[in-house]
Amino acid sequence: MPPRALEGLRVIECGRMVAAPYTAKLMADLGADVIKVEEPAGDPARARGPFPGGEPHPEKSGLFLYLNCNKRGITLDLTRPEGQELLRRLVAQADVLVHNYLPWEMEERGLDYASLSQTNPRLVMTSITPFGLDGPYRRYKAQDINVMAAGGWAWINGWPGHPEEPPLKAYGQQTEYQAGAVGAVATMGALLARLKDGQGQHVEVNAQAVVASFLEMTYAGWPYMRVVAVRWGQRPIHPVDFFRCKDGWIFVLCVEEHQWKAFVELMGNPEWAQWEVFKDRISRAQNYDALRPFLEDWIKDWTVDELYRAASERRIPFAPASTMGDLLRSDHLRARGFFVTIDHPAAGAYEYPGAPYKLSLTPWELRSPAPTLGQHNQEVYGGLLGLSQGEMEALKAARVI
Amino acid sequence: MAEHGKGPLAGIRVTDFSWVWAGPFCTLQLAHLGAEVIRIETTKRICVTRLLPPWAEGQPNPNTSGYFNQYNQGKRAITLDLQTSEGQEIARRLVAISDIVVENFAAGVLDRLGLGYEDLRKVKPDIIMISMSGYGQTGPLRHYISYGPAQVPMAGFSTLTGYRHWDQPMHVGLSYGDPNAGHHAAFAILAALWHRHHTGEGQYIDMSQWESTIALLGDAILHQQMMGYQPPRLGNRDPYMAPHGFFRCRPAEPGSLPEGMLLEDRWVSIACASDDEWRALCRVMERPELADDPRFATLEARKQNEDELERIVEEWTLTQDPFEATRKLQEAGVAAFPPLSNKELSEDEGLNAWGAFAEKEHPIVGVRKHIGIPWKLSRTPCEVWRAAPVLGQDNDYVFHQLLGMSEQEIAALKEKGVIV
Repeated sequence: MPPRALEGLRVIECGRMVAAPYTAKLMADLGADVIKVEEPAGDPARARGPFPGGEPHPEKSGLFLYLNCNKRGITLDLTRPEGQELLRRLVAQADVLVHNYLPWEMEERGLDYASLSQTNPRLVMTSITPFGLDGPYRRYKAQDINVMAAGGWAWINGWPGHPEEPPLKAYGQQTEYQAGAVGAVATMGALLARLKDGQGQHVEVNAQAVVASFLEMTYAGWPYMRVVAVRWGQRPIHPVDFFRCKDGWIFVLCVEEHQWKAFVELMGNPEWAQWEVFKDRISRAQNYDALRPFLEDWIKDWTVDELYRAASERRIPFAPASTMGDLLRSDHLRARGFFVTIDHPAAGAYEYPGAPYKLSLTPWELRSPAPTLGQHNQEVYGGLLGLSQGEMEALKAARVI
Repeated sequence: MAEHGKGPLAGIRVTDFSWVWAGPFCTLQLAHLGAEVIRIETTKRICVTRLLPPWAEGQPNPNTSGYFNQYNQGKRAITLDLQTSEGQEIARRLVAISDIVVENFAAGVLDRLGLGYEDLRKVKPDIIMISMSGYGQTGPLRHYISYGPAQVPMAGFSTLTGYRHWDQPMHVGLSYGDPNAGHHAAFAILAALWHRHHTGEGQYIDMSQWESTIALLGDAILHQQMMGYQPPRLGNRDPYMAPHGFFRCRPAEPGSLPEGMLLEDRWVSIACASDDEWRALCRVMERPELADDPRFATLEARKQNEDELERIVEEWTLTQDPFEATRKLQEAGVAAFPPLSNKELSEDEGLNAWGAFAEKEHPIVGVRKHIGIPWKLSRTPCEVWRAAPVLGQDNDYVFHQLLGMSEQEIAALKEKGVIV
C-alpha cells in the first residue's frame, strides 16, 4: 500500500453542507483520519438531493455522499453541556478542528478557540465563516447566493444587454467549495507552522473575502481605472461565446490573434474574414453584431465533438458545453481513471468524481463510502474515548449521542 | 522596504514557471503563507496578464496592469529566456535551491526545455513539482491547450447555470477553472510538503484543471446517475429554499451612481432556508398575514407557488434600498446581501473592517487597493509583504545574491539575450 500524505493527522469536522466538509474531504482523501461530528438530526446536506429516483432519504443524498467519503461519522448534540464536554475530549486527541458554524454559535457553546486551545495547545482550529469572526457582519447569516452577492461574483454573472434579468448565481454551492478549499490551504499552513514549535493556532477564513479574491480582472477595474464592472459577456475581445451546433453547444474562444487566424483557416478563409471591421480582437468585439451571424452560419452544420477536435488540433482552445452525461462518457477522463465507483450500503453503487490531482508517491485514494448517521459512535466513543457501554447507553437515552 | 520571511512557509522557496492565472493564483496562496516565490518571466514573451487591462489610469504597460498586480502580490520576478540553453541551466540552478516548482504549460512543454520533473529531480532530489495543465499529463487529449474561460463549459457549469426560461448555456462570470485549480494545487503542494517533512521525499503532482473543476460538481454527476438526467437550470432558485433569489430594489437616485451603472440595477439576494426565516421575512415586510397563508406556510407550498411568492417579495423590495433591506433582514435573522459591484466591494464596510485589503507601494502604480489575504492565522500572521513585482525587479537579488553570479557574468548574459 502506498504511503498517504496526511497519514497520522486526526481531524474533527463539525461541518454542515459544503464548506467545512469539503476542507475535511480534501484532507481525508489524502489520508487524514477525519471524524465527522453531526448533530443528532444529521448534516443538513443529508436532506438535500439528488436522491436515487428522487425519493428523499437521509442516507442517500448525492451531495452528502460525495462530500463525506473516507470519513468516520458520529452524532453529538453540541447544544448540550454533555455534548460539549465530549467534543472537548475528542479535540484533546486531535490535530485539527474544522467547522463552519457561525462564530457566535461556537462561542455560546464554549467551543471557541480560546477555550479549546486550553485543552489542546497543539490544536489547529479552522473557522470557516461567511464574513469573518469579527466586524459589522459577524452575526449575519448567509447561504451560497448571499456570499456570491457579497463577494462581488453575482454582479458580474448574467447576460449583458438584459437589464430585465437579475444577476445570476452559478450552479451549486461554489462559494462554499472555494471557502472550503481555502480552509484546507490555510489549515495546512498552520500545521506546517506547528512543525517548528509544536504550537497550534486559530485559522479564520472569510468567505466573502475568498470570493472577492478571485474576480479575475474585474475587481481591479475600480482601483486602477475607476471603471465599474459589468456582466460577463460584454467582452473586450471576441469571439468568446457559445454557438449552437447540430447536436449541442460549443464554446468558441479566440484569445490570441494566432488562434483567430487558425480559426479563419479552418473556416476555409471566407472573404468576410478579411474585412477591416474584423481585423483584430478589439475590432471583432466592437463589431460583434456583424460577426456573430457569419460564425453561427458556419458552425451550425458541425457536431460539437467534430468541431471541438478540429479546432483543438489547430491549437484553438474551443470547448464543448459538456453535459454530465458527456463527462461520464469522456474517453479522456476514462483513460485517466478519473471517475471512481463507490458502493454505499444504503444508496448503492455510483460513479463519483475522483482525484483532482495525482500525487506520484502518495496518491489520492478512496477507502470508504460516506458514513451512515452515527455509524462510528461505538468505535469512537467506546474505542477512542474509552466510554463504557453503560455510559454510552445513558448518553443515547439522554439523546446526547 | 518590507522584509520578506514571515508566515508559516518562511524559508520555503518556489520556482514559479507559471503564467496567466491558474498557476500564478496557486503561487499567490504560497506567497500569502510566507513562501519566497520567484517568477521566471521574459520580455520576449510577456505574461498574458501583464498585457491585459485594467491598466493604471488606462495607460498600457506591462507593469501597470491591475490584473497582473492583483495576482502576483508578494512575489519576486526575474527575466530569463528559457529558450536558451544558458537560461535553462540557470533555471536548474535556481530549482536546486528551491523546494517547490509550479508550472501550467501544456503537457510536454517543459520537458522539451530540459526542465521536466525527471530533469529537475536530478538537481534537487526532494523537489516537489506540480504541473497544472488543462487536461493533465496523460490521456488522449493531453496535448490540447486550454484556457481558463473554456474550463467553465468543459466541466459542465454552462449547461447547469442559467436563467430558467433561457434555452442557452451560460458562463459563470469569470474563468472559474483558474482560481479553483490554484486553490487545489496549493493544497496538494502543502500536503506533499507535509509528507516531505516526515519522510524526506519529494514528488511530482499531475493536476488537470478540467478534473479539479469537475470536483465541484459531484452532486450533479450523481444527479445524472440517480435520476437519469442532469439538474435542470434553476436560475437563482434553489430546490430546498424559498424564497431564494435576487429581488429588484428601489432605483438609485439620479447622480448617485458612477458612470455606466443603471439606476434600476439595484438588487438584494434573499434566501429562506426554514419556515421560521420565512415568517421573519413576513414581519420585516410588514405582511404578518402571509406567515399563516397556506400558499406559503411550508417549503413545499412556497415552491408550488414560487412565482406568486417572488412577486410578493419583490413588491416589498422595490420600495427598499438594497443595503437598508439587508440590514433589516439580517437583524430579523434572514440571510440577505446586495450583489456588490467592484466599486462597492472596495468600499464595503465589512471587508474594510475585517482587513481584507492590501495596500502596498508599487514602484510604478503607487498604492492601489488590492484584495489581500482572505484568511487569518492567529499566531503566525500572514501578510502581503510587498506589491507585485515589475519585470525583472529581482534580477540582482536572484542572480547575484542567491546564485552568486558576478556582475560581469550577469552583464554578459544580458548581452547574450539570456537575462531579458
